[in-house]
Amino acid sequence: MKKQICKYRYLLCLIMFMILTGITTAFGQSEKFSESIYPVGKLKPIDTVPKLKVGDRAPGFTLPAVSGSKISLSQYVGKNSVVISFVPAAWTPVCSDQWPGYNISKELFDKYDAILLGITVDNIPTLYSWTKQMCSPNEKIWFPVLSDFYPHGAVASKYGVLRSEGVSERALFVINKKGIIVYIDIHDINKRPFLEDLVKALEEANKQ
Amino acid sequence: MKKDKSILIIISFLIIILFFKSSLQGAEESLPIPDPINPYLVSKKNFPEFELPAIQNEAERNYLGVSKNGDFTIGQIKAEILIIEFYSFYCPHCQRAAPDVNEVYQQIQNRPDIKEKIKIIGIGAGNSDYEISSFKNKYKVPFPLFPDKRMEIFRSLRLRVTPTFIGIKINKNGTLEQFYFREGGFEDSQKFLAEIIKFSGIEPGEKNEKANM
Repeated sequence: MKKQICKYRYLLCLIMFMILTGITTAFGQSEKFSESIYPVGKLKPIDTVPKLKVGDRAPGFTLPAVSGSKISLSQYVGKNSVVISFVPAAWTPVCSDQWPGYNISKELFDKYDAILLGITVDNIPTLYSWTKQMCSPNEKIWFPVLSDFYPHGAVASKYGVLRSEGVSERALFVINKKGIIVYIDIHDINKRPFLEDLVKALEEANKQ
Repeated sequence: MKKDKSILIIISFLIIILFFKSSLQGAEESLPIPDPINPYLVSKKNFPEFELPAIQNEAERNYLGVSKNGDFTIGQIKAEILIIEFYSFYCPHCQRAAPDVNEVYQQIQNRPDIKEKIKIIGIGAGNSDYEISSFKNKYKVPFPLFPDKRMEIFRSLRLRVTPTFIGIKINKNGTLEQFYFREGGFEDSQKFLAEIIKFSGIEPGEKNEKANM
């Protein structure tokens, strides 16, 4: 029995050595800056079948905004072009850095007379905390962030971008002043759309 | 009993192989190991050469001392020290850090003793040309920015976050040596620059007295 323990001691030492070296490596790579972002891994790029196409009238909706008000699509018809940016979920990697880019591009949206509406299926408190860390403490994100939480994903579903796991696609819809959809980009959920593509769509929308 | 022993030996052998295999893979393009006293100091790590696209703006070409014809490598930049900021148009931390990095540039430009020796560039991880110029206009970035649209440079260096600040020495023989590595922004631009100067080991130039004018 004693002999057997001796034998296993050797194996134990080896395992201990590996665990210890493993720990130092992990410590060396500790991500002090990853903050609160949840790693989702690679997801199925697109998980929905389009319900809408360019030229369709944009389905109307009314949703609560983080600011406390209610926003309806109809309030912009005849006045502004509208960009709807659906992102899958708060606190996930790509989305967490898509809207901050829009947040420093207000002039661009203004230039094309466009309103940006950000929508996720998260509830208001989550969206409040999440969007708060996108800018300095004394600033606010300039565009309305809307919660499509209850009934869950109803607007995402109307727009054909509600995925089977209950989050939305990463999708951009541009709606012209007449309320007609002029651009749809249902993007690979794992990737961020480039800004210039949206700018081109806004240019087009403004011409119509 | 004998069978037991041989199984034990085989298992240990397998574990050793697996362990070394994984540590070798890790060593291929590893991140610098932080110095225990100065967390941002990197001691003498070779830095890989990589290419950057041609610069259209003449003032920026002059700043880096590179010719008009096409792409160039970072080793061709006319400087002793190069600070590279990996940032993204979309990253709120980088947006917040932008004025601080501009300040570092200004401080260098205001000091004739280091002005010719230390240069700064920014590389936009995952950013397009359009996003690069939007960031440049928004924050009035005075130093050259380059796109790394498909994140090839970012990934090849095994970087993890933006902003990441890297300090490299461009040796006379064209080799590159990394001496600084920092993930995340800094609060004090003067302290950041002092660290860069100290860790790089360069001697601020002879024109020292002019700095006080």
